[in-house]
Amino acid sequence: MEPGKKATAFLLLFILTKAAIAQLQPVYSFQKDDTILKRNYYQQSLKKKDSYLSSVTKENTADYKKIYDEQYELIKDLLTTTRSVTSPEAHGYLQSVLKKIVSANNELNGLDVRVVFSRDWWPNAYSIGDGTIMINAGLVIYLNNEAELAFVLCHELSHYYLKHSGKSIKKYIETLHSEEFQKELKRLSKEQYRVNQQLEKLAKSMVFDSRSHSRNNEAEADLQAFNFLKRTGYDCHAIISSLEILDRIDDSSLYRPLDIEQVFSFADYPFKKKWVQKESAIFSQLDENESPLSQKEKDSLKTHPDCSKRILTLNDSVQSIKTQGKRFLVDENLFDKLKKDFFIEMTEQCYRDDNLSRNLYYSLLMVQANENIPVAVYSVARCLNKIYENQKKHSLGEMISGEDRKYSTDYNLLLRTLSRLRLDEITAINYHFCKQYYEQVKGYPGFKDEIKKLQEQKNQ
Amino acid sequence: MKKLLFAGTLLLVLSFFAGAQNTIENVQKVQRSNFSAIKEGTDVKGYYFFYISDKIDKKTNEYTLRIMDNNLKVLKDVKFQDSKNVAILESSFNGTDLVFLFYDEDAKTFEYQIYGADGKKKFVYTRQLTKKEKKYLEQTYLLINDDENTYKGLYPVDGLGFISNMPSREDKDYTFQIDFFSTEKQKQWSFTPTEGAKKFEGDYLGTFNGVVYMEVLKFGSRMDQNPESSIIGLSMETGKQIFEKPSDGKYRIYPASLSVINNGKAYIYGEYFNPNANIAKDKSLGFAFWGIDEKGNILTEKYCSWDLELGKYLNVSSKGKIEDFGFMYVHNILQTADGTIFAIGEGYKKVASALGIASKLLVRNSGLSTMKLKITDMILLKFDKDFNVKDAKIYDKNSNNIELSTGYEFVSTPYIGKLIKYYYGGFDYSYTQTNKDISSFSVCYSDYVRGKDYKGSTFNSISYNEGKVTTDKINTKSDATWSIVLPAKQGQVLIVDFFRKAKKVDPHFEKLN
Repeated sequence: MEPGKKATAFLLLFILTKAAIAQLQPVYSFQKDDTILKRNYYQQSLKKKDSYLSSVTKENTADYKKIYDEQYELIKDLLTTTRSVTSPEAHGYLQSVLKKIVSANNELNGLDVRVVFSRDWWPNAYSIGDGTIMINAGLVIYLNNEAELAFVLCHELSHYYLKHSGKSIKKYIETLHSEEFQKELKRLSKEQYRVNQQLEKLAKSMVFDSRSHSRNNEAEADLQAFNFLKRTGYDCHAIISSLEILDRIDDSSLYRPLDIEQVFSFADYPFKKKWVQKESAIFSQLDENESPLSQKEKDSLKTHPDCSKRILTLNDSVQSIKTQGKRFLVDENLFDKLKKDFFIEMTEQCYRDDNLSRNLYYSLLMVQANENIPVAVYSVARCLNKIYENQKKHSLGEMISGEDRKYSTDYNLLLRTLSRLRLDEITAINYHFCKQYYEQVKGYPGFKDEIKKLQEQKNQ
Repeated sequence: MKKLLFAGTLLLVLSFFAGAQNTIENVQKVQRSNFSAIKEGTDVKGYYFFYISDKIDKKTNEYTLRIMDNNLKVLKDVKFQDSKNVAILESSFNGTDLVFLFYDEDAKTFEYQIYGADGKKKFVYTRQLTKKEKKYLEQTYLLINDDENTYKGLYPVDGLGFISNMPSREDKDYTFQIDFFSTEKQKQWSFTPTEGAKKFEGDYLGTFNGVVYMEVLKFGSRMDQNPESSIIGLSMETGKQIFEKPSDGKYRIYPASLSVINNGKAYIYGEYFNPNANIAKDKSLGFAFWGIDEKGNILTEKYCSWDLELGKYLNVSSKGKIEDFGFMYVHNILQTADGTIFAIGEGYKKVASALGIASKLLVRNSGLSTMKLKITDMILLKFDKDFNVKDAKIYDKNSNNIELSTGYEFVSTPYIGKLIKYYYGGFDYSYTQTNKDISSFSVCYSDYVRGKDYKGSTFNSISYNEGKVTTDKINTKSDATWSIVLPAKQGQVLIVDFFRKAKKVDPHFEKLN
């Protein structure tokens, strides 16, 4: 049978039999957020902003306002969208870990903090400065135990406790308004030649100063976090192991690397080598150290000291702890469950953020590992349909990333494939993919809508 | 990523997001010509962005040449100081090395800077222009300010170097100069025809087995209207002339280009005429393909006449005029992996010019011709490997007009076709791209639409993929102050939007369907 006829037969089969298929319960239910809690957190955060602004010196109010406005745009985006996780189970768990830390450290009692998980994919945690602390799903999935999560939390609490953000903003504005800086700016405004060179030098000195200050903050936060953690009963060796995780996180993956040639190859529609064929490149032998920034500049511009240095700094203190702490104080099973859930949640969030290449990548990793099949297959089908729709109207450019040396090889191969697939090839891959998993996924809610979309593409 | 873990302040978090975008902020002033694609034949390998980064003194600027890969990732920033009148005219990549052609208007120099695969400057070749030569270039090569960069005089030779073809002037003779710049070692040669005519026009046809093939028209005087056409072969090693053959076989041809197809054989193609015809005035009979060897021997000749061969698929007169389409200028010929040969062409015709006629009535020597050129549609011709026509299809687009100078009423259509391309820059065709195994290609061209829902520029493609041809159109009008569409990796285009108020340049890729 010709592929086109086969496609019609498959789609017809689906339509004719769909009524007879009992709806399967999905293996995964997305976490339902507590929207009232999010609203309350956001209101608390706004109050904090007003109180900050009323306390700054009048002559610099405009500058502070500009910075805080930007800060609150981020907070708004985090606390008023699906990016933040406030579902009772996940949020409750995080609050329990927080409680363990606060109850063991009197100085943290009454500290006005809102600690929230986010569904963001990148492995990060951060303290925004108003008491909002975010821990990304993309970091949690790599942690081995609750003690490591507690250390991350202690580190971010330390930033807030030590007022690092407020101090940094104050220092930045004071530098900007300093007599010396203003004098230099005034002098440069009168210069006709080499102005940009001098401005660049001035800006660099400011950035170096700020980064060096930031590194000091990191070291200070690490030390404070150690002091907080050691009183909790958690295993302090988690400090070293979590820093080790961070050190190699760029090269880590929960799953084996994606074999794009295998997942997109079907008996009737084999993978085409031309989708991933390598091209010659300019500056193929470019020394990575010869990027626009010199090695020295790159080192100086680092936001944080290397993790290995951080480990060295804390190692003696950690080894001096004689009591054996615990890896779990709240709930080991729930921690493991959340880690698994968060992979699916962040995959879904990528879709909601129109980050289609990441959404497809994570979905395919699950399919390849034969995990969460119904939701993963549905996610792939839906993503490929959305890629088709946006490619057709020339708006896909903002939704898929370009290849980059900082990405893993398997992700880059997926990106290369996406950049080369034509509309009819996207449809063909999606069709064969859905056909392969049809029996397993046919009852999954939403899957039939994706099949309908596929049918419409075939008819075009 | 790890550098930003456990970020302590918002400022640092924000800097992480900013790095993920291709947007260039705080751009005070930028011109379309500051951006361009770096190509290796039809493949886009990267982009450059050339801008003034500082003023050093009254006469000197600091320039930055930012070189990016084909995903717009910055590979290198080259900073240097030079006269304030320096511009980049062209760039090219030959599979191993990169060349940039700088023009210094004050010093009257062309400087070819070669960069190796490690990003380091390898060689610099300088060509000093005479006053007369500079003037001649200003009337020819430098005159065309073409955003799509369809006209190029710098051609890559795979792994060996670059060929440059520039108009030139030797005292009273108007000629052209071929230069070869080696990328293997500091080695250069030049070839300039000066004998046997007062005016020479030369087109680079291609390179094959160590020979550089040129099409040369020799004019007895600047006003001569019956030039001699010949094919010249130069040694790639020395630049010495190996052969010169009149472009006469069974018929006379006017070679347009050379392609290496059919398992590594070289073919010269172009329109053909009766023997002894005047290629600058007479009507062509059809389209010819000549197999040619390294000594200039014609090995095979294949002629496809307008009326007999192409007439099967198109409504063509015996004079080569296709109904509503006019005459055909062939931009490119390529062979796909299955052996099928495609010719990509564009139509043009001479029509009465109301402006030219009116100005003739009002002003005696207005300089405008009573005829003008109308650029019409795109065409895709399909041949088998023996050059038998198998199909032809016209793809509609809106026509645009070019007013001609007096005297062009009587010039032959193939010659006019080259004038439109090289002198007027009037074709809408932008480029053709193939994938590595040549199982698919995309022909790209610009157009202008005056529709109910949309009025503005469009960027269009005719794509061939595994036997199927599809077309696509991208509306390029946006809120931007200006936008340019540059070639990108096969199947994609790069749209660069400049927003003057927001002082930003936003480049983004879009896929062609």
